[in-house]
Amino acid sequence: MAIDCLVLGAGQEVGKSCMVVSINGKRIMFDCGMHMGYTDSRRYPDFSLISKNGDFDNALTCVIVTHFHLDHIGALPYFTEVCGYKGPIYMTYPTKALAPLMLEDYRKNMDRRGEDEQFTSDHIAECMKKVIPVDLKQTVQVDKDLQIRAYYAGHVIGAAMFYAKVGDAAMVYTGDYNMTPDRHLGAAQIDRLQLDLLITESTYATTIRDSRYGREREFLKAVHNCVAAGGKVLIPTFALGRAQELCILLEDYWERMNLKVPIYFSAGLTIQANMYYKMLINWTSQKIKETYATHNAFDFKNVRNFDRSLINAPGPCVLFATPGMIVGGFSLEVFMQWAPSENNLVTLPGYCVAGTIGHKLMSGKPTKIDLDKDTQINVRCQIHQLSFSPHTDAKGIMDLVKFLSPKHAILVHGEKPKMATLKERIQSELGIQCYCPANNETVTIPSTHYVKADASGTFIRSCLNPNFKFSTCSSTDKSYLDSNKSKAVSRLSVSDDRATEGILVVEKGKKAKVIHQDEFLHMLGEKKHEIQFAYCFPMHMARTEDLSSTSHMLCSFDKCTLISRLSMILSDELSEGNILDLGEELQVESFHVSVCSSDNCPHRLSSSLQNGSESVFFCCHWSVADEKLAWKIISIMKNSTL
Amino acid sequence: MNKQDSSDAVFIQLGCMVRDMSVDVRLEAFEALGKIGLVSEDILLQTLSKKVLGINKDKAFKPVEGLDISASAVAGAYIHGLEDEFSVVRMSACYSLRTLTVFSLRFACEALNLMMDMLNDDSTVVRLQALDTIHHMATSNHLKVEKIHIHRFLSALVDSSSVIRSMTRKILKLAKLPQFKLFKLCIDGLLGNLEIYPQDEADVFSALFHIGRNHGKFTVHIIEEVSPEMEPASGGKLSFDSTRVAAFLVLAISAPLSHEKDVSAIPPRIFSYAVTWLGRISYGLSDLMNQEKLLAYLSECSRSSTISLADFKINEALLTVESDAPIPLCSKVDSPVSMPFWKDSGGTSDYHHQEFLSLGKSAAHAEYELGEHSELRKYVNLIFKKVKDFWSLVELGCTTEAFKGIRACKEEVASFTADSPGSSGAVAFTLQYLQVIGMLAKVWGHLRPTKMLNPYGVGKLELLFAKLDRRLREISNRFIGLSKGEELQILDLVLVACLLRLSKMEICCCNAAMKLLLSTVAHVEYLHKEGSIELSNFVTEVKKSLHDADSSSSSSTCKPLLFKRLLDSFSLQQFVLYGTPRYIHAELAVPSNDSENPLPFIPGIPASIPLAITLHNVLTESRLWVRISMSEESTQFVFLDLNLIRNEKRSINVVREFTFVAPFYRTPKAISFTVRASLGLECFRENIDRVKVFGGPKCELTYLCPEKEIFLCKSTEC
Repeated sequence: MAIDCLVLGAGQEVGKSCMVVSINGKRIMFDCGMHMGYTDSRRYPDFSLISKNGDFDNALTCVIVTHFHLDHIGALPYFTEVCGYKGPIYMTYPTKALAPLMLEDYRKNMDRRGEDEQFTSDHIAECMKKVIPVDLKQTVQVDKDLQIRAYYAGHVIGAAMFYAKVGDAAMVYTGDYNMTPDRHLGAAQIDRLQLDLLITESTYATTIRDSRYGREREFLKAVHNCVAAGGKVLIPTFALGRAQELCILLEDYWERMNLKVPIYFSAGLTIQANMYYKMLINWTSQKIKETYATHNAFDFKNVRNFDRSLINAPGPCVLFATPGMIVGGFSLEVFMQWAPSENNLVTLPGYCVAGTIGHKLMSGKPTKIDLDKDTQINVRCQIHQLSFSPHTDAKGIMDLVKFLSPKHAILVHGEKPKMATLKERIQSELGIQCYCPANNETVTIPSTHYVKADASGTFIRSCLNPNFKFSTCSSTDKSYLDSNKSKAVSRLSVSDDRATEGILVVEKGKKAKVIHQDEFLHMLGEKKHEIQFAYCFPMHMARTEDLSSTSHMLCSFDKCTLISRLSMILSDELSEGNILDLGEELQVESFHVSVCSSDNCPHRLSSSLQNGSESVFFCCHWSVADEKLAWKIISIMKNSTL
Repeated sequence: MNKQDSSDAVFIQLGCMVRDMSVDVRLEAFEALGKIGLVSEDILLQTLSKKVLGINKDKAFKPVEGLDISASAVAGAYIHGLEDEFSVVRMSACYSLRTLTVFSLRFACEALNLMMDMLNDDSTVVRLQALDTIHHMATSNHLKVEKIHIHRFLSALVDSSSVIRSMTRKILKLAKLPQFKLFKLCIDGLLGNLEIYPQDEADVFSALFHIGRNHGKFTVHIIEEVSPEMEPASGGKLSFDSTRVAAFLVLAISAPLSHEKDVSAIPPRIFSYAVTWLGRISYGLSDLMNQEKLLAYLSECSRSSTISLADFKINEALLTVESDAPIPLCSKVDSPVSMPFWKDSGGTSDYHHQEFLSLGKSAAHAEYELGEHSELRKYVNLIFKKVKDFWSLVELGCTTEAFKGIRACKEEVASFTADSPGSSGAVAFTLQYLQVIGMLAKVWGHLRPTKMLNPYGVGKLELLFAKLDRRLREISNRFIGLSKGEELQILDLVLVACLLRLSKMEICCCNAAMKLLLSTVAHVEYLHKEGSIELSNFVTEVKKSLHDADSSSSSSTCKPLLFKRLLDSFSLQQFVLYGTPRYIHAELAVPSNDSENPLPFIPGIPASIPLAITLHNVLTESRLWVRISMSEESTQFVFLDLNLIRNEKRSINVVREFTFVAPFYRTPKAISFTVRASLGLECFRENIDRVKVFGGPKCELTYLCPEKEIFLCKSTEC
């Protein structure tokens, strides 16, 4: 059996995460995301690769969505409502709660840009009805064979890593995760599992990040300096996740430093999201959970709602506005107003998609930005780039891979060259086979299949037999190396390497069985066959008076003398083997040699018959195992004279 | 594999565990990391960097075949630990860093960076632990504060949690700042702290005082800058209502006590300004000095601009009080008596000392007393040092020279007495000590084998011994307020005297001397147990051989050779006086009695002798006897029960004056005679061996006053 992984998205890129894994006959789709960088057909994964005829219900066992980011869930309404998938969809409770918000927000933005609508609000609502929510560490039996389980992943609220198990084959799909906690979310947490495959994100395949305290400090310093100088701070963020984290951070700082400068949230999504966060306390970090009883961390004391009239109000303030990367909407509107003043500060997220204003601000320090043909914005404000990221860094990925130690690993959700570097590291440092397939490629890896086998009594007994080996080993005590006095210690060591040899017998309709080799013949009802080689050849004789010239008249006494003389020669020449003189026969292991008295020996080669008076024929036979030894002896005999 | 390697290997193995998914495992791992004593610097530094350091790239340990421990495995262990989700783990990581920073300065510097970041943690306990770690670094001299840290660090001074603030100040007290700029930032930070949280005032003052003391020059500099602020406002009114001014005053008055040399002076008037804040400042500095001391110090400083003397005195006093001081307490720490006497807690000496302090308050001049005493103590201790040098002369056989020196010392000490009445105890003690040493030197010079021939006969020697005994008895009984260490040193001398006596067969009253020796040793042991003070070599030696002699033969204890040998191991230790001993003495007078105006008596009938007695420092529980003797044969003792004596003038037992009418029973049949009276204090340790006389004292007496001759004349009225 094998596990087939079809990469529909996020192969060697970031965006439209989608992976279809066939595992022991079950087919699971992990994530169903969209690519934010495209507006054409490349936006969605190529679902046709799953099923040519569009019968997704039979082609897929289930769909699992790890978290609510659009590059992980964006294509889901399209897939279910437009493509017609009706099977089960699994996601965590918070993802189910927050996903509609994200999708709706995206749909509206699409509307605003005048793009053709891919799905409607109804589609989203219908799609969400098919979702089966799961809790952390809850094992869900999807069907008879398939189990799935969610583990905490950090990243955003409700993000999960999913474990799937079919029969003996098991795998984990991480989705996006974070191995270090932040102000509001904990670190990813998973059990030690026996895995055939780990599919992990690799956003930061080569980056190693410093402690988050440094990042927080920089951010707070920039904001504090700006508001202290009377400037306005614009923080464009996604409504969910980063906004809450930064807000907790600012709130804490405001409290401690006794600052009174107002913090605003642009109305709408963020406020709504905060409400959800307050309810989803259980999915946040330890600290927030602990203090929840006395003070809900998402109950921001200093935060107020913003309305448009405040944009040009005098005095310092801090504003959280959606969307992040300043792609449009309210954050763009505010940006246009605030950018021309050098007192103000705009923070940018760590990652901005190419083409957005955020990206333009990040690359170089532009003084003018062309919004479209007619509009131009003067940029004089300060720019602070946030280096917060909810993704784990290279060390975190390595730590997780090391912790789980799967048999194979697949990297997705990253940049190709960096992924290649990480792949090399995983293979060389951890010795784990690693792949980073491109989109629409399939990776096949072998899966585990356990067979239960009985063991026969003889086999078990043979296992129990000790297998002692004695050897003298001389070991040099390393500690003495420095002192120039290497001290060699020679001692007898006993090893007991029990190599058990058995034969696995799988008979039709019967349970597999391991038996001892002795039992094998009996079990098959067959006899043991043995192959023997035989050879008859002459050997030179020294001329002696005692020996009669007619070789064929040799009496048994003479045979014995010949054999004993041969034995002496062999014991001189032969280093190995134990030479046994059996009177008329000589035995070395399975090699037997005796004087051949028959002229018509079947093993005698006719060509070797020459000058018979001076030689005597020896007939020998041996089994396969001692072939080398046999030829060695024969060559000795041929080269020497009796 | 050497020890360093194997502990490195263990460290790395544990370092791998800190990434475990289980909180408990991580917690244990950090705890264990902190316990490993010997870790190489490279490995330590690696724990603070997630990137594998070049030096550790190929470093690997193979403690056993098949186990390969690569140094890179420990990469960033502490980075991970300090940003762990669970505050317990973060705390544990902070804590374990604490122990590791001791080993390497470089590691400590790097770790400090992280600790400063931890001050931004959302959990108060973690912040506190981080501060504690920094404090630990400061105490182990591994704290190098740099500019980038100071802002983060000082922000902890305005933290809403009071423990955090106080911990921060505790670290500031120890900080040594390299630049004036940093110093100024710290002072501003403290002032900000004071402004926002006025309730911290006392501790802020204390911190300012410490930090000022550690940075004398900077302090003077800053005071010069702000001195206009501290001057009285235009209307002649002092604007002393501002806490800020008070803070600067505290800073200013710390300058003269700076550890730095040549600190240019603070204008003396500043000190007088500070006096107006005496209450609040002394509240803040209560851990350093009490109000009296502070006042004394301030007035001393405000009087003159040259304050070197006061500087010395208070500095000394401070040093003995403050354990964090960077300078060793005293030059001779190994000597048992060098233990500052305030340290042996629960001892009687402490009690006496406190009592003394409270006594001193009553007198008008008492404010200065302590300061004066410490000055005196300094001189006295110098004399003790000289005495030690003289003793080495004695040992060399130059007794006369030594004696000369000692006599000169006596004269010097005697000159102290005149001007300082409060310190009579210390002076008396020193004199007594000098006398004892003098006597001891005489006897020693006579008995010990030297190049000189014995200059004295046996009779003379006996006399000398008697004198020595009396002196010793006096020094060990007539002073209270000695610490155990001091007492032990005196007992050393007693032991020497005993041994000297025992080593001379001709004059030896073996039993008595042996008894005294044994009881002294027992007392030494008792003090040793009580005060956990190390015994001198000599005493240990004596104890040992006594024990040996005891076990070998119980009968014969007179072994002059043994004792002579023991004497060889004696070397005089320098006596260091820490406390202020009180001198027990008495005055005895018979009003209007002389040879012209004798007291009347009727022969055969007891005569009454009215004695005007003044007792100094006599404790109520001590047993006093009036000894009245007419001749050697007729001596009588009258017990003086102090409990029955009403205190006429004061309720406290420093000075008592009263009149006691002593009966003299065996008046002779004569027209006139004289008796000699004196007051004796029973010394509990020394039992009298002789036959008891009429319910007289059970122990030897130490006489508290010179004998007074009293004249009696047969009454003519009857």
